[in-house]
Amino acid sequence: MKRKQYGIGSGGAFAWYFQRITGLILIITLLLHYLYLHFLNGGNVTFQEVTQRLSTPLWKTIDLVFLVSVVYHAMQGILMVVNDYVHRPAVRSTLVATVWVLGMVLTITGVVTIVTFTAA
Amino acid sequence: MAVRKFKIFRFNPENDSKPSYKTYEVECLPGWTILDALNEIKWFQDGTLTYRRSCRHGICGSCAMQVNGLNGLACELQLAPYKKDPIVVDPLPGFEVHKDLVVNMEPFYEALKRVKPWLINEDAPPQRERYQSPEEFLELDNSIACILCAACTSSCPSFWADSNYLGPAALLKAFRYEFDSRDKGFEERREVLDNKHGLWRCHKIINCFHACPKGLNPTGAISKLQQKVVTEKW
Repeated sequence: MKRKQYGIGSGGAFAWYFQRITGLILIITLLLHYLYLHFLNGGNVTFQEVTQRLSTPLWKTIDLVFLVSVVYHAMQGILMVVNDYVHRPAVRSTLVATVWVLGMVLTITGVVTIVTFTAA
Repeated sequence: MAVRKFKIFRFNPENDSKPSYKTYEVECLPGWTILDALNEIKWFQDGTLTYRRSCRHGICGSCAMQVNGLNGLACELQLAPYKKDPIVVDPLPGFEVHKDLVVNMEPFYEALKRVKPWLINEDAPPQRERYQSPEEFLELDNSIACILCAACTSSCPSFWADSNYLGPAALLKAFRYEFDSRDKGFEERREVLDNKHGLWRCHKIINCFHACPKGLNPTGAISKLQQKVVTEKW
């Protein structure tokens, strides 16, 4: 009765738990992002203001947390859909691998951009 | 006496290449249930109609089926609330159909066995019974009342998508023992619960809660089990 399903992995407690945690972080960081950019900042979204903000360590930290949370949360969501609806093992493994690679690429480019950013 | 129409799923794998619906007209008495109407059809109109039934008062769990798209027990579903004809009767979704309204329940029982639905406690048995306080019993939150009719598991889209998923009934049963003050079987059940075909496949769709003819809450039980596994782990 128990068929092996390739590309689905085992366990899953960490993925489930961390998706909940990142969900909570997203509520905070998204609200913060939205409130700051549209209200607290007085709608002053200019190149100069943005570059200056992205140069401060505090905003770098917030954006790093934001980035990791968004990518992980979204990735888990897509993986969940893939695991639920893609039944052909080869297709599923390929999609799961693609999602992971895409997640890594997005995280790395994002981290590099945020960490190395300095106001010109 | 009112004449009601029933559109019933028919499939006999020996003769039919694919399933079809057949409509029956039945003179129904006030207070009749879906099961009464099915019996009337089988006994007086068409003896080939096949379905499971036994106790006819909602405790054996044999007659779970889908009526107008919702799972329930045929013997508990009164005809009166169904205002429109025809009333559509289908077998439980998510299972292989043996014949008409009879499905293969093996995957359901197999999932149940995987959670080891019995008291696991290796301690030396006490002089008399293993005592449980009324407060500890309340923790189980009626989960003991499950009649294993499969209405919940069969209503679960996660189960439709993954035939290896334990499903709400088996997980409710796991809850029933995991939250029993006398049970010490967590380590034995952990692997099957903390698994992509176990607890983490539940996406809180809550169909199981709506389907349960006994008013139990498998979704809530799954949440508590998820919390338990996560708390024990970290």
